[in-house]
Amino acid sequence: MSNVNISKLKAIVGDNNVIDSPSEMAKYLKGKGKPAVVVLPGNTSEVSSIVKLANEQNVKIAVGGTVAGTKGLNGGIAMVMSRMNRILEMDHLNLVAHVEPGLLHKEFLLKVGEAGLNFPPEPYEVETSSIGGCFAIGDSDSKSFEYGPTRTFLLGFEMVLPTGEILEIGNKCIKNVSGLDFIHFAVGSQGTFGIFTKLLVKLLPVQEAKRAVIGTFTSIHKANATFNTLIKRNVQPTRMNLLNASLAKNAISGTEGQLVIIDLQGFKESGKNIANEIAAVLTLGGGTDVKIIEDEAEYDQVINGWLKVRAELNGKPEQTLEFLVGPAKMPQALTQLEALTGDLGAYPGVVVEGLLGYVCLALPEGTDKLALAAKVNKLAMSLGGNIKGLLGHKLKAEAYNDAEMWQQTIGLLQELRQQFDPKGILSPGVSLEA
Amino acid sequence: MLSQTVVNRLKEIVGEKNVVTDKVGLLTYGYDGTLLSGEALGVVSPHTTEEVVEIVKLMNEHNIKLVPRGAGTNESGGTIPTQDSVVISFTKMTKIHEIDTENFVAVVEPGVINFDLQVELEKRNCYFPPDPSSYKASTIGGNVGECSGGPKCFKYGVTRDYILGLEVVLPNGKVIQTGGRNFQSEPAYDLTRIIVGAEGTLGLVTKVFVRIIPLPRAKKTMLAIYDKVEDASQTVADIVAAGIIPTTLELMDNLLINTTEDFSHAGLPRDAGAVLIIEVDGYPEDMDPQVKTISEICNKIAKEFKIAQSAAEVDQIWTSRRCAFGSVARVRPSYGVNDITVPRSNFPKAIQGVLKVAKEYGVTIGVVAHAGDGNLHPLVLFDQRNKEEVETVHAAEKALCMMALDLDGTVSGEHGIGLVKKKYLDSEFTPAAMGAFRKIKRSFDPSNRFNPGKVFEL
Ligand SMILES: Cc1cc2nc3c(=O)[nH]c(=O)nc-3n(C[C@H](O)[C@H](O)[C@H](O)COP(=O)(O)OP(=O)(O)OC[C@H]3O[C@@H](n4cnc5c(N)ncnc54)[C@H](O)[C@@H]3O)c2cc1C
Ligand SMILES: Cc1cc2nc3c(=O)[nH]c(=O)nc-3n(C[C@H](O)[C@H](O)[C@H](O)COP(=O)(O)OP(=O)(O)OC[C@H]3O[C@@H](n4cnc5c(N)ncnc54)[C@H](O)[C@@H]3O)c2cc1C
Repeated sequence: MSNVNISKLKAIVGDNNVIDSPSEMAKYLKGKGKPAVVVLPGNTSEVSSIVKLANEQNVKIAVGGTVAGTKGLNGGIAMVMSRMNRILEMDHLNLVAHVEPGLLHKEFLLKVGEAGLNFPPEPYEVETSSIGGCFAIGDSDSKSFEYGPTRTFLLGFEMVLPTGEILEIGNKCIKNVSGLDFIHFAVGSQGTFGIFTKLLVKLLPVQEAKRAVIGTFTSIHKANATFNTLIKRNVQPTRMNLLNASLAKNAISGTEGQLVIIDLQGFKESGKNIANEIAAVLTLGGGTDVKIIEDEAEYDQVINGWLKVRAELNGKPEQTLEFLVGPAKMPQALTQLEALTGDLGAYPGVVVEGLLGYVCLALPEGTDKLALAAKVNKLAMSLGGNIKGLLGHKLKAEAYNDAEMWQQTIGLLQELRQQFDPKGILSPGVSLEA
Repeated sequence: MLSQTVVNRLKEIVGEKNVVTDKVGLLTYGYDGTLLSGEALGVVSPHTTEEVVEIVKLMNEHNIKLVPRGAGTNESGGTIPTQDSVVISFTKMTKIHEIDTENFVAVVEPGVINFDLQVELEKRNCYFPPDPSSYKASTIGGNVGECSGGPKCFKYGVTRDYILGLEVVLPNGKVIQTGGRNFQSEPAYDLTRIIVGAEGTLGLVTKVFVRIIPLPRAKKTMLAIYDKVEDASQTVADIVAAGIIPTTLELMDNLLINTTEDFSHAGLPRDAGAVLIIEVDGYPEDMDPQVKTISEICNKIAKEFKIAQSAAEVDQIWTSRRCAFGSVARVRPSYGVNDITVPRSNFPKAIQGVLKVAKEYGVTIGVVAHAGDGNLHPLVLFDQRNKEEVETVHAAEKALCMMALDLDGTVSGEHGIGLVKKKYLDSEFTPAAMGAFRKIKRSFDPSNRFNPGKVFEL
């Protein structure tokens, strides 16, 4: 099974950075696949040599930040980027940073904060995510209404292509339309177009003022209705989120009921008035224990509670279902959803990101996820949305009875992948079939 | 020439009046915002996605290429019909399907003029942030094609950041939908993003889901006047260092101050080296502290600084900027618009570089710039009828592009590549990056049927 030439790998990265004893390998791996070896490259040229070697020997490579997913590997190489974790440059004048992909998001955030700057993208795995992983996955978070999704923060990168060739693209300009936009297209490609080896990241000035407003509600519908009131009143905070009772107590211990968390970043002078307005809306909407939080430690506690809940859900993708509808359609969505799920307040988990119109459900044991997804997708479509991602696209095409559109989309995705990786070397675990 | 069969079939698809094949008619579609021209085999203006599909299929049967066109205001030669091709004009697809302010989305056809959408949105207290200075004429489809910018990018980003989804007719005549009405609706790869800015080379956009946002509650417009351009650049750096993100930092140099004065009599001092228009927006309570910081910064080095106190004064400040491009026509009959962009910290060097090029080549160059973005539009003035001068101008423009690349910048910040800057692409990108572009083009359009020869050769 060991179809990988270990000694050649050792010659590339050094003996210490090639691990092939199963017990040692385990801590770098997740999933049920069985790679022959774990390799930890230290620089771009090593990554390139490894990929070239894999091409010669026709073996597959899965990449990960600190831990690599092994799906699709039977033999082959698991490449872990954690040694490539330097900040190469922090450029205050241009508000950009040059970083290596294996740097942990949380460590980057620390350094960016020390520099008086801000990097808004917020992965759901805040403890373990690497910067490379963040851009490889892409995606939005509950702050994206204000700051934009992850791709907004990528200005360029260096990437090792599936052939081993090194590609560099981008610059420190915040406006750049030269060539095709491969820079942003690569965000979300999950390692199928290539392996990021450097990232040129856009930063913002730090937000000096931070406030939160929280409140609890006996009814999830009442809690959610306050979001619509705020949208109607033309109030757009940084985030506007809701956790149902089952999750709320994990975020802030002792919480009874459904928890609304509203975050205000920036709004230096206006924040006080906006917070008062929000508090009034929550109270009038039936909220109890409505509270404006200005104390920094307490603010961090609330936000970290939220992140902890998100991370737990993110760890169980098979047991969660995510969909989107227009933000103002959320009350209808939740009401109709209850016909499928029963009381949402008591459901294992409901997360609402109000400004994005996003819902994540934690499903009860034994749920037939696909069957529920089809129903939820129908519901979401009637409200201008769909199930998130590729699955949603497929279900939408099915609902339109438009097999052709689905075939075209999937055919195009596969052709793109094939063009970049004709031998199918990289990221075997990533499927473009829903 | 198109065969009579093809012409007849086109007429069947879109109606008699929406097919142009006569010489005079074709002439208008042979031009765009550049000085280039070409002649199309024909022009066809569909009204619906279905008609677009029929046209694409017909063209494929006859192996004829298609050049998509909105208002034709692009500054890169992107709509010039070169190889034997038919122009597909989207100016008849002008429906605003839907405006949904509470869900922050509007659904429009590609031929909708940016301005027309803004007017509808403003009635509902909303707007679509991308507003290229050509917004009164340019179409949403064209904005998507070029990934247009405008004066608000420093805070709000570019067209790419406001497109949630697209309906696209592919070169094989099939229709797909990318993205949707919400964030996070992409299927695996972010197809929307690769089509935005592709200048019509990957697909024909037939419907656009745009992100709209509420109008800011308050806005403050300021004007700073400087002796030297360098001082204006210093202000830009200082404002950013103070942690302020203005919506706008627009700069004009002495030449432009004078040409716009000839035109608009806005009252700018003709001996000034540069003016900077600064705008901030947000909640009313947050305006005063920002304006205070900005005035302190400007007053240190500007010759004059004022804060607009009324809508009329805001208008007066903007008048000069709005007529900037047109105003130079009084000096010389023609001008070439450049679009070089450098990292903000290299902006002063880029300004020096422009002066150096002007001197070395003996040409007159005026500068309008989105200074916060490091995006300069050096306008090279000349007379198109003078062949020799045209050659010099081409050389000067090349020198400007190379200067931007030497300063770690790009040849285009917002206008696109088209035909005009295609020749510089190999200087800007490594062979691997050019290879990636070709792989993408091949995946969408293996027979090179949509806007062939634009941006790069397949
Ligand atoms: C704003 C935001 C929102 C998010 N939302 C979600 C969500 O809703 N659901 C969800 O499941 N996750 C989401 N994530 C991602 C999630 O938190 C990921 O676990 C994390 O970002 C990945 O980092 P990692 O280092 O653990 O990557 P890994 O788990 O190691 O890798 C993740 C993927 O990225 C690829 N990859 C890793 N490093 C590289 C590299 N250097 N070059 C190329 N490819 C690489 C891997 O091959 C794999 O396909 C989000 C991330 C961000 C930034
Ligand atoms: C005075 C003036 C000021 C300008 N100011 C700015 C500015 O501030 N910022 C800026 O970014 N630009 C500016 N421009 C450039 C230009 O106006 C923009 O690029 C604009 O977005 C082009 O829109 P259009 O409708 O004219 O598109 P066109 O010029 O017709 O087309 C532009 C590109 O998009 C493609 N295209 C058009 N419609 C479609 C479609 N439906 N599907 C697929 N592809 C399509 C075309 O093939 C072409 O490649 C300015 C131009 C002028 C003349």
